Amino acid sequence: MVSYLIFLLVVGGIYALLAQSLCLAWGVTGLVNLGLAGFFAIGAYASATLTKWGGVPVPLGLVAALVAGAVAGFVVCVSTLRLRDDYLAIVTLGFAEAVRVIASNEIWLTGGTDGISGIPAGMPRDWGQRFHIISLVIVTILLGLVWLALRRLVASPWGRALRAVREDQIVAAVAGKRVTRLKAEAFAIACAIAALAGALYGHYTSYIAPEIFQPLITIYVFLAVTAGGNGRPTGAAIGAYILIAFLEATRFAAEIVPGVSAVQAAALREASVGIALILLLRFRQRGLFPELNQKAPA
Amino acid sequence: MTIMTRRTALIASASLLAMPSLARAQGAPIHLGTLTPLTGAGGPYGPVMANCVKSVITEVNGVGGVLGRQVQLTSEDDQTNPEAGLRAARKLIDIDRVAAIMGTWASSVTTAVAPLCWENKTFLTTVSGADSITALPHNGWLIRTQPNTTLQGRKFGEYAVELGGKKMFFMAPQTPFTQSQLANMKPPIEAAGGSIELLIYDAAKPSLRTEVDQAMRARPDIIILGGYTPDTTVLLRDIFRAGYRGKLLAYAYSVNQQMIGSLPHDVTEGIYTLAPSPAQGSGGFDRVKRIVGNDNPDPYTCQIYDQVNLVLMAMAVGNDATGQGIHDNIRRVSQGGGDKVDNVMDGLRAIAAGKKVDYDGASGPCDFTDAGDITDCKFRYDQVRGGQQTLIRIA
Repeated sequence: MVSYLIFLLVVGGIYALLAQSLCLAWGVTGLVNLGLAGFFAIGAYASATLTKWGGVPVPLGLVAALVAGAVAGFVVCVSTLRLRDDYLAIVTLGFAEAVRVIASNEIWLTGGTDGISGIPAGMPRDWGQRFHIISLVIVTILLGLVWLALRRLVASPWGRALRAVREDQIVAAVAGKRVTRLKAEAFAIACAIAALAGALYGHYTSYIAPEIFQPLITIYVFLAVTAGGNGRPTGAAIGAYILIAFLEATRFAAEIVPGVSAVQAAALREASVGIALILLLRFRQRGLFPELNQKAPA
Repeated sequence: MTIMTRRTALIASASLLAMPSLARAQGAPIHLGTLTPLTGAGGPYGPVMANCVKSVITEVNGVGGVLGRQVQLTSEDDQTNPEAGLRAARKLIDIDRVAAIMGTWASSVTTAVAPLCWENKTFLTTVSGADSITALPHNGWLIRTQPNTTLQGRKFGEYAVELGGKKMFFMAPQTPFTQSQLANMKPPIEAAGGSIELLIYDAAKPSLRTEVDQAMRARPDIIILGGYTPDTTVLLRDIFRAGYRGKLLAYAYSVNQQMIGSLPHDVTEGIYTLAPSPAQGSGGFDRVKRIVGNDNPDPYTCQIYDQVNLVLMAMAVGNDATGQGIHDNIRRVSQGGGDKVDNVMDGLRAIAAGKKVDYDGASGPCDFTDAGDITDCKFRYDQVRGGQQTLIRIA
């Protein structure tokens, strides 16, 4: 029971990191990033290949993931400069699929669809409970740092400028904000955070494969951020934990519904995620932690 | 009179089975889990598999369970996704405390879940075919009933040569077994002076016409299809539209009766299929047919039927209902001679009577190497004729 809960808290923390990424790109800057799973994958592969085959220590692998994510995010952002809204969403979705197809087919680089198993964790896995607790501490600390940094950034003048870009980029440009640069910065930082989450996932579970990085992950994180409130790092993080708790709780709920077969229970679980989202959007459009208006200094 | 003796025998065996529970004073239920894809790409297969296990366990519970304890089954959904599968496996292991997880289907899910199983002394039985799985450092904590790709690839190559092909064209999505299948098809084909080309396609595409045109340009005698049912359906339509007149060779689990029924006869006529043979005509296979209510159960259902039978008997023979018990004893019931049994009910009776059993199941003889691969497997050769899969031979 305890190890199950610890495991869920680690996975929740990784989802919360992804939610931080989406909060910055989508919630604050208004860049709909449907390619989150792709950046998650880039980070996972960058760190896994370097540490497993390159013999690099795990902390360096995490740094490499951050760099890889930022570079990929920058490239995607500058190549889609003129796109906003739906168009950017489609392009990023396509990008994530491209990453997955490349990961499946460039076998020399990524191990192909076999994936990479036995990724080092930087500590012995046979420590049992201790391994999971230390992992939980590491993931939670990293999440805390990202959360703190993001809160500071969002509250800073830079964050205010990002929100101006989100609301109307022409007005922001007229007001002298360098829109392109702001968007590229925000997107690159957001992608670096997603990549960090990917690297942590790989090191914790010891196995990554292209099939993990399906659009489903992106959708889940969108759900989490919508539930928590997309403009606030706190809301996004709590939304992610709620999402994991909800996904797991539906397992037990489906078991006590009488007279349903396993496959019906699985379908009910998926339906309940949709229903919860509809209810949330009906009664709390701006999420559990709506964005606060910043008061102008007196 | 015969009825009387049979009944007495039944009562005797039932009481024999019940004895250990009396000795323990209380029989806490034994927990087993299935982790099959109930949604996602494996959705057509997983639900039938989970139901098959459920019905075997219901039958066993009807006569008092195993070691005098009832067996409780929890069926989770891996969503055909390693991340979701991992969470589900964690729940099965930590909350339900299952002794074994059965039926992981996608190779990526199996690879993700396997370390969790061996770290937590939970036995894993799988139907995934990728060669890499039994090469994991699992120390005997997993078995698979699916022949590995090395064997399947060779059979495909040999059969293509036998069908008189010189220029073969292999079309498949990228999966963990595509490359190894090609590598193993090659030697028999090249030894016969033939050649084979590979084309990888994206299984999610709604039309594969470009890929088919590319195949046509090579003017193949035989096109070998390596996908699953949904993408092979798309592919077959486009191959028909392209006016291809050569031979087609496919896996029987993708070109199955369901798919043949959903396509016009012209499209499917003459397709050769090859599959690790369920032990057609064996007692185990007949039982699976009855359980799923279908004359042509898919190989995965036959395999998971064997897995649950083996797991239950291993518990009984070792008098140990834990993962460790299954790990230590599964080969005592799967191989090594003794009374041939094809279902757990007979097996439990024989074990209670102190006999050695050797299980031959619905999917084959179910004998395992130390790495967890099956040692022997028959293959079934069919051809689609007039909308029906017609048996050519089993060898």
